[in-house]
Amino acid sequence: MLMGPTGAPFVLLLVVLGVAVPLILIASRAQSARKLAITLILTASFAGCVVAVFGFLGQMAPRLDLSWATPFPFSLTVDRLSALFLLLVCSVAIPVTLFAVPYFDLHYSEQRRNWTWAFFSLFLLSMIVVVTASTGFAFLAGWELMTLASAALILIEGDSAERRHNVFIYLLMMHAGAAAVAACFFLFLPYSHGLDFGAIRASGAGMPSGIRAAIFLAAFVGFGAKAGIIPLHLWLPRAHPIAPSPVSALMSGVMLKTAIYGFVRFAFDFLGGGPLWCGYIVLLAGAVSGLLGVLYAIAEHDLKRLLAYHSVENIGIIYLGLGTSLLFLACHAPLLAALALIAALLHTFNHALFKSLLFLGAGAISSATGTVDLEELGGLQSRMPVTGTTFLIACCSIVGLPLFNGFISEWLTFRSFLAGSVLTNTKAQIVLPLMVGVLALIGGLAAACFVKAFGVAFLGRPRSTEAEHAVEVPVPMRSGMTLLAAACLLIGILPGLLLRPLASLVQGLIPGAGVPEETLSIARIMPWIAAIVLGASAFAAFLNRRKRMARTWACGLPGLSSRMQYTSTVFSKPIRFVFARVYRPDRKVEQLPTDQPYFPVSISYRSVRTTSYERALYRPFVELVVSLAHRLRRLQTGNIQVYLLYIFLALVSLLTFLRFQR
Amino acid sequence: MTLAINILQVLILIVAAPLVRGIIARMKALLQRRRGASIWRPYAELFKLLRKEELVPPTSSAVFRLAPAVLFGATACAAAFVPVVHASALLGSYGDFFLLVYMMALGRFFLSLGALDGGSAFGGMGASREALVSSLAEAPFLLGLVALAISASRADIAGIVAWTLGQNIFEISVVHILAFTSLAMVALAETGRMPVDNPTTHLELTMIHEGMVLEYSGPSLALIEWASAIKLHVMLALLIVLFCPWGMSTTWSGLGIALAMFLYCAKAAILMILLSVIESAVAKLRMYLVPDFLGVASAVSALAVIFTMWIKR
Repeated sequence: MLMGPTGAPFVLLLVVLGVAVPLILIASRAQSARKLAITLILTASFAGCVVAVFGFLGQMAPRLDLSWATPFPFSLTVDRLSALFLLLVCSVAIPVTLFAVPYFDLHYSEQRRNWTWAFFSLFLLSMIVVVTASTGFAFLAGWELMTLASAALILIEGDSAERRHNVFIYLLMMHAGAAAVAACFFLFLPYSHGLDFGAIRASGAGMPSGIRAAIFLAAFVGFGAKAGIIPLHLWLPRAHPIAPSPVSALMSGVMLKTAIYGFVRFAFDFLGGGPLWCGYIVLLAGAVSGLLGVLYAIAEHDLKRLLAYHSVENIGIIYLGLGTSLLFLACHAPLLAALALIAALLHTFNHALFKSLLFLGAGAISSATGTVDLEELGGLQSRMPVTGTTFLIACCSIVGLPLFNGFISEWLTFRSFLAGSVLTNTKAQIVLPLMVGVLALIGGLAAACFVKAFGVAFLGRPRSTEAEHAVEVPVPMRSGMTLLAAACLLIGILPGLLLRPLASLVQGLIPGAGVPEETLSIARIMPWIAAIVLGASAFAAFLNRRKRMARTWACGLPGLSSRMQYTSTVFSKPIRFVFARVYRPDRKVEQLPTDQPYFPVSISYRSVRTTSYERALYRPFVELVVSLAHRLRRLQTGNIQVYLLYIFLALVSLLTFLRFQR
Repeated sequence: MTLAINILQVLILIVAAPLVRGIIARMKALLQRRRGASIWRPYAELFKLLRKEELVPPTSSAVFRLAPAVLFGATACAAAFVPVVHASALLGSYGDFFLLVYMMALGRFFLSLGALDGGSAFGGMGASREALVSSLAEAPFLLGLVALAISASRADIAGIVAWTLGQNIFEISVVHILAFTSLAMVALAETGRMPVDNPTTHLELTMIHEGMVLEYSGPSLALIEWASAIKLHVMLALLIVLFCPWGMSTTWSGLGIALAMFLYCAKAAILMILLSVIESAVAKLRMYLVPDFLGVASAVSALAVIFTMWIKR
């Protein structure tokens, strides 16, 4: 039932998040009860971190079997892969919870606050169950709870028609994805005779290749919908921006990662790789998601939508790593496959850190100014120095600049592309090195996008009175962001901390893989680079000391106003112009009055990025479903005799089926 | 000895950088039948700026003051990856060309932020244009280097140089020609030279780099100018040692190093003459033709990567 010395904290974690916190919050509306609940969430997350660290280092794997209490086998195990993702969930949960305390107090009324915390706790629990599940039933139960809890958290913020529509799309796509994930499990059933992960793993190698391909494709689609790869990303830029910021941080930082976990579990652990085309599909999905994700992000001026599109981009980068690893596996190069998988898993972890930090920063901005529209912001760095500095660290990380954590994983991905040149397979040998160009373009565009996001929001002059009077957010919010920023810097400068246990984790997933030397070399050189850059920068900073304030030159005009600054939209104009094909902008110019073209009273101009290709992709599918539903409606006559006939027919067909089954 | 020579190489790249600018400016002047300023003038300007007080816009934040220092630190660190006279580098053994390219990206990121922090329209304009050029230049830059790395089966620049030294000069393959073409085009874009950007202009319609640094003065401006000179020198050095390293010392003897030093200066002089001829002969491209220019560089570098297939044995 319960094994391993770290079993006790693991059970504590589950009981607190799943039972104690929701019960306390439902039972009592008192301030003290909520404080107790929050303390419990923090304690449980810390306990989860401890369990995860021990599991990640390969010390012990607690296993919890609840099959006696559930209709289906239900057990949780923390093996090394699970431990990595458990660490991801719990280590992000602590700063996000700290941040959420004043955030929820500021934004919600008394009664809503309790519900928010209760669902927050259940949301955390669901993600923990997903990443530690060791039976199909436990996995699917956690998967479903995760969708419902996050949808509830989005709806708590409000229930306008638009919000409900977006949540509907979210739920629809999540359930389509969940159906595909369930199909993956059931396809295993005839060969594994059970949905225990051990049995599934054992049966993985002996299955016919057709079934393996079907499972791979179902896993690709099912987890792809959750991860938000293009074209299954439709829900992502709708659901993430409307959630409360701490919840956006969890959804984008952690929930998307459970999909990566599921995909790695299926593709690597259960199936042990696949034929070459599997790798190419994943690689292509990664390249398309990465490029389109970052291009769409640049065009946004709503900070949270911009960040949501960047999640698509980063999932693309992770998929690039996973696809490369699958290609190497198919070409029988386990060492290189391990390198690419380490890159993908490390990027997963890094993205969890910096993306939740970015969403928390967006939450801090919206708390301080009441908006996340970049065109209304500006000059926040001097008004909110801690938020600004941590946001800057997160920007540098997501762009993949050296000394920050995003760089380490992107560098490893680059190196695994480069290593593709040693393969004997001609096509892979050309495609992989060329992917360096794709990732470089993604990185360059991401840099442009975050210069814009940080520069317009935090630098220069404030563009609205709200931004001008912004004040720094309360201490718990600041401390949450500082914790995440410190983690980003720590991994960026001392990557060896994570890379060594990651290498041994990957060795368990890919038989025959050693420790790739790239992981050792980057761990060895980063501290030196940090020392040189800091030394040279300090020398440079020492050089300039005397300063005098002087107004910015205004071309001889009386003074600059904030309207003369570059805005977010105009900053991205050159890039949007060059990539106009991707956006296919829809422009509308209206002149009033229309009968006097040369003497207009007012001219209004509107330009939006069209989603025509999304419509072209989804419209036939939606129409098919609707027409099917219309046809099925004919069965529903409202006549009781007809229903009796249905029951009779069903009975007869079942009996015949049973007869021939024997 | 090794360490001393490696540090010497970094110092050459950093300290001689303003001289490179001075020589190019002098050559351009000669080509335009002017007498031109002394080749040492960039040093004089640096000293002058370093001694001046700095003017800071009241609306700016700490990022404005930090950006030049980070730019300088990152560019100086990038110089530590490049060999000059001996086929080794200070950060050569574990560092590779991805690190070199991304160190430059780090500096550029902060300079763009500093430009936006000035609060004027020019800074934003420069940063926006720089974002376009640099985001499109990164892919051909890396792909060109990837082609060389595949040929040499090494990822560190010093290793690639050592491999090239062992090759016969007459066995130059199509990969090297294509990679040189793309890297030379990228070098023009990255360092803000003609036909991508005009380093001598202050006209708002055309400037990119100058637009970004418009608000800077005094020591900060000196650091930025010095850093961009280092970047130019590093790119020149890269082109020299990657494509024509012959003559570089493989031993640690003083004579060999001195000879390599002399040959490096000669090669650099040839490249500088080429650059000044190009700058005098070519007109600046329209802003929206720059993506085409870089698109050609990307295509050429992708071809270089593809052709590595055939030259490998």
